[in-house]
Amino acid sequence: MTARRVLITGVSRFWGGQLALRLEAERSVERIIAVDTQSPAVDLKRTEFLRADIRHGLIGKVLSAASIDTVVHAGLIVDPRRAPARVVHETNVIGTMNLLAACSAGDSPVRKLVVKSSTAIYGASPEDPSLWSEHMRRSAAAGDAFTRDLDEVEDYVSDFRVRKPEAVVTLLRFANVLGPEHDTPFARLFDLPAVPTVFGFDPRLQFLHVDDAVAVLERAVVDEKHGTFNVAGSGIVLLSQAIAMLGKLDLPVLPFAGSDLAMSLLNRVLPLGFPPHLTRLLQYGRVVDTSLLAQAFPGLIAHSTAETVDAHARERRVRDIADAQRRRVRHEAEMEEFLRGGATKTAAANGHRPRRSAGTKAKKTASRTPRRPVRRRGDG
Amino acid sequence: MAELHGTGAPSSNGHRRRGSLERLRAELPVAAMSATGALAVRLQELTGRDVIDIESLQEIVALGYRAAEVRSAHRGGRYEVDDFGFDPEFTNAVLPVFRLLYKRYWRVETTGIEVVPRSGGALLVSNHAGVLPFDGAMIEVAVHDHVDRFARALIANWFGGLPMLSWFLRRTGQTLGHPDDSLRLLKRGELVLVFPEGVRGTGKPFSERYRLRRFGRGGFVQVALRSGVPIIPISVVGSEEIYPMIGDAGVIARLVGMPYFAITPTWPWLGPLGLVPLPSKWRIQFHDMVRTDDIGAEAADDPAEVMRISDQVRDTIQAGLVSGLAERRGIFRG
Repeated sequence: MTARRVLITGVSRFWGGQLALRLEAERSVERIIAVDTQSPAVDLKRTEFLRADIRHGLIGKVLSAASIDTVVHAGLIVDPRRAPARVVHETNVIGTMNLLAACSAGDSPVRKLVVKSSTAIYGASPEDPSLWSEHMRRSAAAGDAFTRDLDEVEDYVSDFRVRKPEAVVTLLRFANVLGPEHDTPFARLFDLPAVPTVFGFDPRLQFLHVDDAVAVLERAVVDEKHGTFNVAGSGIVLLSQAIAMLGKLDLPVLPFAGSDLAMSLLNRVLPLGFPPHLTRLLQYGRVVDTSLLAQAFPGLIAHSTAETVDAHARERRVRDIADAQRRRVRHEAEMEEFLRGGATKTAAANGHRPRRSAGTKAKKTASRTPRRPVRRRGDG
Repeated sequence: MAELHGTGAPSSNGHRRRGSLERLRAELPVAAMSATGALAVRLQELTGRDVIDIESLQEIVALGYRAAEVRSAHRGGRYEVDDFGFDPEFTNAVLPVFRLLYKRYWRVETTGIEVVPRSGGALLVSNHAGVLPFDGAMIEVAVHDHVDRFARALIANWFGGLPMLSWFLRRTGQTLGHPDDSLRLLKRGELVLVFPEGVRGTGKPFSERYRLRRFGRGGFVQVALRSGVPIIPISVVGSEEIYPMIGDAGVIARLVGMPYFAITPTWPWLGPLGLVPLPSKWRIQFHDMVRTDDIGAEAADDPAEVMRISDQVRDTIQAGLVSGLAERRGIFRG
C-alpha cells in the first residue's frame, strides 16, 4: 500500500485537527479530506475541508468519489460541555452508524477504519477487575447516556468487522487525556484551587499525554494493526497523589452515596461540566492493561501516567504566560495575513488551492484560520 | 496545618514559622519516647514488674516515625504505587499496628512458614473466619516478618464499595477476588492469599466454628494450574473466637447490601466498643505445598482434576484445624 487517501471526521475538534496536522507531514498520505460541520480550529495546509455532516447520506458518495481507502473516525464527543446532550447522542451514535454504513457498503473503497473510542466503555464500579484487558466487558448495564452511546458505537464497529472482514479495523480506547491547551473535564477539575473528591475513596487513575495520544492516532493510520487497543500512559496515580503533584488541596466533600447527585449540583455552581461517568471514575477508578498496545506499537507512549500528571502540573504553573504568548503569535499571524492582502480570506491565503472532487454536491469550503482566536478544543 | 502553609504564599514569615513547627514535630517523638521510657523504668522499680512493655513501646514509636516519614515523602505525590494500588511505604508504616496485634494481642504462633518461597509466585489458601478479615492481616504479618515478602490477599467484592476500608485494603496490597486479578499477580511472581470459603466462612455462626465451608467451585485451583504456581494450605486457629457471632440480622444486612450483619455478645449493643475483638490465642500452621507445575495448565479445564486438588487442599486445612484445636488447652490461654 503506497498512497493513502484518508478521510477524517471531527476535524473542528481537537483530535481530528491534530491528526490532520500530523498526516500532512506524512509523505505516504496522498490526500486528506476532513469532514465536519464546523471549520477546523487549526491551520491546515493540504487538507481539504468539506463542510458536511457525517449523519448525511451523501457521505458514502464522498467516499467513492475521492476513493477513500482509510477512514478515521475521531469525531466522538467525549466532553459533555462541547455540545447539548441531544447533539452529543446524535453525533456519536447516529453519526457513527451512518458513517460505518457508508464504509461497509458494497461499492465502498474503504479498506481500513480507525475509531477513537474511550476506556469509559469499561465503566467504573467496585466489582471491577483491577486491570481491564481489551476482551473484557463490564458486567453492569450502562448507567449514563454517554456510556450507553459508547456501547452502541463499538457495536457498530463490530458490525463493520463482520460485514467487511477483509478491512483492517483499529479500535483505540483512549484513557483520560491531559495536556497543555487541551481542555477536558479532568483538567477543569484539577484547575480548581481545592479539588472535590469522594469521601473515603482514593481511586486509581490513568492518564494519557496528549502528544502520545496524537502519535498513537497517527501510527494507527499509517501502520496496519488490526484489533482493539487500550491507550494509556503506563502505571497509575492515585487521585490524592495527582492532587498532591498538582499542589492542590484534596477536599473530600462528595458523599460516597449519591456522589453523582452532589457532582451534578457542583456542576451547576462551577462550570466544570463533569459528567456522571467521570464522577463514578472519581469514586472507583479504572486501570487498563496496555500490553497489547505496547506490542503493536512499541515505544510509542513516551509518558507514563505519573509523568503526564507532572507535565500537566508544570504547564499549569506557567499557563498565564504561555497563553499571552500564544495570543501574540496568533495576532502576528493575522496581521501578516492582512499585510499580504488578506482581504480574500480563502484557502489561497494558506498557500493552496482547493481541489474540487467530482460528483460531490456537498458544500465545500477551504480550511482557514478562524477569525477569533479559539483555544484548541478536545475531548477525552 | 503544615500543608496549608506549604501551598500558601511563601512569605518569609511563613517560612520561619514552618521551620520551628517542623523542628518541634521532629523533636516531639524523641522527647515523648524518653519520657515514657523513664516512666516505664520508674514503674518497674515501684511495682516490681513490667507495667509498660518496652518492646511494644518501640513498635508504637516506630509507627509514629514511619507515619511521619511516609507523610513527608508523600507530600508532592512523589511515590510509586503498583497497578493494583499497592503502596509498600504506606504498608510498612501501618504494619507495626498489626505486628502489635500479632505479637501481643493474639500472641500468634506460626509453624511451617519455611515452605513459603522467597521468590516467585505461590497461592496461599486459608480458612476464613472472624466476621472481619483479621486472619488475612495476621497471615500477612507472619509472611512479612519471616519471609520478608508482601502477600496480596483477594478480598470479597463488596469490600470494594466500602469507604475508607476499600481505600485501606487497596493501599496495603489487597485486591478484589476477580480471577483475572489473581492470575495477573501470580504471573508477576507475587504471593497471593485466597480464602475460598469467602463470606460463607466469615459469616458463619459461632456454633459452626472450625467447620470448613464449601471451597467455592475450585476457582483458586484453576488459577494455580493456569499460572503453574504451588498451593500452600494454611490453617488458622483462634480467629473464630475474636467475634463470636451468635446471630445474623439478615434484614439489616439486606438493607445496607452486606452479605451478613453479625451480632456478637458485644456488637452492636456496646456501640464501637463492640468492635474490639476478643484476645484469643492464635495458631497459624503453614502446610506442605501442593505442586501444580507438574500437572499442567490444561488440567484447569478438567473439573474432576480441579475438584480433586480442591478437596485435597481442603482436607489438609481441616486436618490442620483439628490438630491445632486438639493442642489448645484454652481459647485465651492457648
